[in-house]
Amino acid sequence: MSQADILLVVFAGVAAALAAVVATRADITRARGGKILAFAALCVLPVVSLIGGYTTHMERAQSTEFCLSCHVMSDHGQSLLYDDASYVPASHFQNNRVPRDRACYTCHTDYTMFGGMNSKLRGLRHMYVHYLGTEPAPAEIKLYEPYNNRECLHCHLGARKFEEQSAHNRTPDSLTSIKNNTLGCTSSRCHDTVHDVEAIADETFWKGATVPGASRQEATQP
Amino acid sequence: MSTALLERRLSWAGWLIASGLVVELAVATLVHPLAFVTFAVVTVPLVLAGVALFLWALVAG
Repeated sequence: MSQADILLVVFAGVAAALAAVVATRADITRARGGKILAFAALCVLPVVSLIGGYTTHMERAQSTEFCLSCHVMSDHGQSLLYDDASYVPASHFQNNRVPRDRACYTCHTDYTMFGGMNSKLRGLRHMYVHYLGTEPAPAEIKLYEPYNNRECLHCHLGARKFEEQSAHNRTPDSLTSIKNNTLGCTSSRCHDTVHDVEAIADETFWKGATVPGASRQEATQP
Repeated sequence: MSTALLERRLSWAGWLIASGLVVELAVATLVHPLAFVTFAVVTVPLVLAGVALFLWALVAG
């Protein structure tokens, strides 16, 4: 538990206790001090506590551990450790091209004005399917929409390795096509080796790191 | 408004807020989508309802 979590728990606990005091002894509000206490306990502290809780949960929802807390995603988590650099997620995770504690969110959020909110709405859809719908097998899990180059370009745009890559400059307009998403990074089959959890039984795994939150899952392979 | 009615509303507001914050405490350390949804669906409405009731009690009183 982080220091921020401890602070939130203590703060919310004190706020709840004070609210309960006012609830059980509402007559204390007849005195001036009681009025001040009631204002703090029934207005200021709960609102601050809500803001703290909201911030904490929104932050936490971006963590790799959060995404892998559902068992159906455990194979995808393990695929980040494939000992094969041709796998795009594995090479990104293992080479710190994405922060390991936010590996899923970094690639699967939309880098738009309301991208974070859209990600949360997609998360709610995942939950609906998980608890109330028919959950697909891990190998059957697909993106709702084709992967947009915008998410790759959020980091790679302007990078020398990307801009000067010979394959990206094969034709005069190919770099432009990549940048405007006409030529998809994954759909063009140039970088289409992604999680591929069907191959998990045949893959070997890099031992140099662990995937946050994956250790408690029983994946198909270690 | 009578003092008794005002205090009853403050008491209700206090219970709503306290119960919402207890739920917040229960899910504060969990890293799971259900914790997120519980916070959004239970904690937030309870606490906001309590604060709104408190403010309404003041205005109505």
